[in-house]
Amino acid sequence: CTVWLYRLAVSSRCSVSLYRLSLLSGCSVSLDPVDIQALRRAAATRGGLLNNEMRRKVWPKLLNINVFDLPHRPGRNGREKHTDFQQVVLDVKRSMKRFPKGMPAAERDALQEQLIDIILEVLKRNSQLHYYQGYHDVAVTLLLVVGERMAMAMLEKLSNHHLRDFMDTTMDSTKHILNYLMPILEQVDAELHDFMTRAEVGTIFALSWLITWFGHVLSEFKHTLRLYDFFLASHPLMPIYLAATIVLHREQEVKQTECDMAMVHHLLAHIPEDLPFELLIGRAQGLFDCFPPPLLAKQAALQSRNSLSISSFQAFQLSTLHQRPDSVLQPGDDGELWRQGNRIVKVAVWGLSATLGAAVFAVAQTAMDWGPEAFLQLF
Amino acid sequence: MAVSGSDFPGSLTNAALPPPRTRIFKIIVIGDSGVGKTCLTYRFCAGRFPDKTEATIGVDFRERLVEIDGEKIKIQLWDTAGQERFRKSMVQHYYRNVHAVVFVYDLTNAASFRSLPAWIEECKQHSLGTEVPRILVGNKCDLQDSVQVGTDVAQQFADSHSMPLFETSAKDPNSQGGGNHRDSDHVEAIFMTVAHKLKSQKPLVLSQPPESSVSLSMGKDVGGDASRSWGCGSC
Repeated sequence: CTVWLYRLAVSSRCSVSLYRLSLLSGCSVSLDPVDIQALRRAAATRGGLLNNEMRRKVWPKLLNINVFDLPHRPGRNGREKHTDFQQVVLDVKRSMKRFPKGMPAAERDALQEQLIDIILEVLKRNSQLHYYQGYHDVAVTLLLVVGERMAMAMLEKLSNHHLRDFMDTTMDSTKHILNYLMPILEQVDAELHDFMTRAEVGTIFALSWLITWFGHVLSEFKHTLRLYDFFLASHPLMPIYLAATIVLHREQEVKQTECDMAMVHHLLAHIPEDLPFELLIGRAQGLFDCFPPPLLAKQAALQSRNSLSISSFQAFQLSTLHQRPDSVLQPGDDGELWRQGNRIVKVAVWGLSATLGAAVFAVAQTAMDWGPEAFLQLF
Repeated sequence: MAVSGSDFPGSLTNAALPPPRTRIFKIIVIGDSGVGKTCLTYRFCAGRFPDKTEATIGVDFRERLVEIDGEKIKIQLWDTAGQERFRKSMVQHYYRNVHAVVFVYDLTNAASFRSLPAWIEECKQHSLGTEVPRILVGNKCDLQDSVQVGTDVAQQFADSHSMPLFETSAKDPNSQGGGNHRDSDHVEAIFMTVAHKLKSQKPLVLSQPPESSVSLSMGKDVGGDASRSWGCGSC
């Protein structure tokens, strides 16, 4: 089953991308209701959402966020009173790598302040949520693409759904989610599974992958963005399936390593820069279809535990089905604000693009691979 | 991210040729968030200071091969996350089979010093008590103007827990190489001291003393002896 789906993912990618490009050219977003299934497919299949312009349109829809009803910009009064203030500041100040090289220090400082603001504001508004190191990696990814107010709205929604398990008072639920990893490996490559079990490597090597959606470990921002497209459109457990495909992809390397916890942990924890993410995304989707979470839980006799991320997912998905397009959502003053904010983001992103010329070129080139008509449709 | 210079020299050869096997000393490095655990371990294993460090999520691992009295020994450093939620349910796995513990606090941050008893207690719960070599490192002594934890207070604390104290800085003011030899050597000295201690003490660790009363007093003796003979550097 897996092999068949792998092949399908690989062989069908051309037609799928053309289909996706037509969706992205605007019709799915402006249909009434918004064609959310099509947007999900676009975000998950080869190439993802292509560029940040698209992401700003599609990401909010994937999370059922009304762009004209965004939370207000958080105030800074009293933020230092929050119990997590020190930890958040510490982590954000150290997260320089997340910002594009060449960004002026003043601009980065301003964004870091915004990052602290939005994290603390979401925590303040949701007392059930607890900060974890790595949450800032998710927040910065959103902030750099959609700007402060939308990032806050998205972060709040994600925190109550996809990231919810990581934000309990303890990490026990997170551990439970990590426990899905080995059963997936067992289904696909029993030998590899046995090797890793003998090494007693555990699953902590994948912890930062899971709780930051790989934002903490990838040095190329474009890869992080691509994965965010995929995860925003997928089941909360999808990062675990991708983790499994990465381990499976490195199966040879793993088996050649000394069968020892430290060695295997070290090898796996450091992700190679040149992973074929498009291929791996296809495989992760394939694995998810073959071995859906309930099946895994049953086969691996995973202790049943109430995962809020999983149990709320169906309702979350249903809630995204009846979204009105932005043109119907009656843009009032708030809409103007969002558009202005959007323009500022655009300026910032183009600023980044100038310094990251290669990344832009790569996107353009990828689009060109699919033919100039598709390319013209997009821009 | 990876500490390239220190990535398992000769590990494959070791796997291919059985004995003589390189001994491995596992040292866990713990302490509050932001005290500089990653900097210290990176400095020792990579031989240079990291450009920037980020929050450690879960555990990270670095290794270096050293030679002590003609014997090649692998020093494995387990760099752990400082945030409490991680150590409560995530890091226990890595306390197993640890040979030594390095407690780190930031001497410009009194709160990180006040957390030490909790860290020591944490270790005890994982059967890492006084019988295991433990040392205390006060980091960031380059920031003389903002010191919040005086050497005398720290020394008193270290003595009461039978640990030697080191005050150091994992920061290199002159970026690479040359620069501040005194501090650089100090980071080196800290971990090498632990390694020497382990090498001389290894049989003790391997063959656990049967009577608990003996083991307690012996632990104290070992510790007391250690804090005298290891000396307490301060920079």
